Amino acid sequence: MTEQERFEALADNFTAAANAMHVQLMKAIRGGLPPAQAQALFDSEVALRTRADSLYLDAAALAADGYGAATQQLLELSAHAMRIVAKIDRIKDLLDLSAELLTLGAAIAAGKPEHVLAPLEALKHHLTALGEG
Amino acid sequence: MKLLRLFLTLGLLAILTGCATSTPRMAEVRAFAATAPQLEAYHELTERYRGTYQREQPFLSPQADLAERELDLRRQAACDDFVQLQRGVQAYMRALGRLAGDRQYDLEDQVKALSGGIKAWPDTGLDERHVNAYTGLARLATRAVTLPLQERSVDELMREGAQPMQDVLDAMRTLLRLYDKTSDNEQRIVLGLLETQLPYLDPKRDRLLIALAKSEQQARRNDYRLAGLRYTLARQNLDAIAQQHRALLGQIPQP
Repeated sequence: MTEQERFEALADNFTAAANAMHVQLMKAIRGGLPPAQAQALFDSEVALRTRADSLYLDAAALAADGYGAATQQLLELSAHAMRIVAKIDRIKDLLDLSAELLTLGAAIAAGKPEHVLAPLEALKHHLTALGEG
Repeated sequence: MKLLRLFLTLGLLAILTGCATSTPRMAEVRAFAATAPQLEAYHELTERYRGTYQREQPFLSPQADLAERELDLRRQAACDDFVQLQRGVQAYMRALGRLAGDRQYDLEDQVKALSGGIKAWPDTGLDERHVNAYTGLARLATRAVTLPLQERSVDELMREGAQPMQDVLDAMRTLLRLYDKTSDNEQRIVLGLLETQLPYLDPKRDRLLIALAKSEQQARRNDYRLAGLRYTLARQNLDAIAQQHRALLGQIPQP
């Protein structure tokens, strides 16, 4: 049994005791228990539940403890994966680039220099962007 | 025309080799990654756990209030850590989805750029067929270059993520169970006060008080029932995520 499980089991015992107490209390109330006593008993029941909740919190803290490293590992793996995604994106960029080259080639082949300018500009932008990536 | 022949050859090549590049496994990885929003329930329920004291405070005796307030301070600090747990899992699943290509790489832009060019120069010898051939080629090249890299990276990511994913998901499941148990105690404190006080009220003198208390009882009972369902559903979702992750790991081809 881990420490977290021991805390949780102990808390479960407190909860069970409080539940049993509540059943008895309700029976006593129906049997005509004076209000002051009912209130005192209910306060004890609540105190047991607070104790149980405190132990549940300890158990939760233990359960979460030590997973900072695993979380960190997942974050690093994700960052690494995103870098690969960026790399794949850049390969796709090269395909865009070839489309522009093709258009440019067509414009030159058609012998229309006034049409060369726009694809040339696009190409220049693209090359700059690739260089920066 | 040399250019045309080149395109037709490449187009044919694209058709011939294009058949071998379907990836149902990557589609499964994407489907798995798409379930990441289910993790939000963990976040919401952690916030609900954080608000335990606030909800039960009106029902506490001064003495119980003191103890609960002290517990609340510790709970607030702990919840700051608890919400962090899901961050790693979420980032991991998002990265996995991106890597497996949940964002369709848009070839349409390339096609549009090209066909725009063709329209601009009708007498260049480039026409629709070339565009189609180019598209096929681009698709092929995209797959040939990126697919192995993509699949290899996805497999690697899943292998390396296996242990931390399982650990963190286990911890999240444990926390949800503990939140649930705390919520049970909160319910019994809140409803218990109403239940133990109501019998002492005078039906004539305290009519309004009885009505309000009973209405509160109903509302709270319903709240707690719904909360219980949310805990169960959130735990089931975590189980499903863990199980699907294990299944995907099992599908990785052995080298």
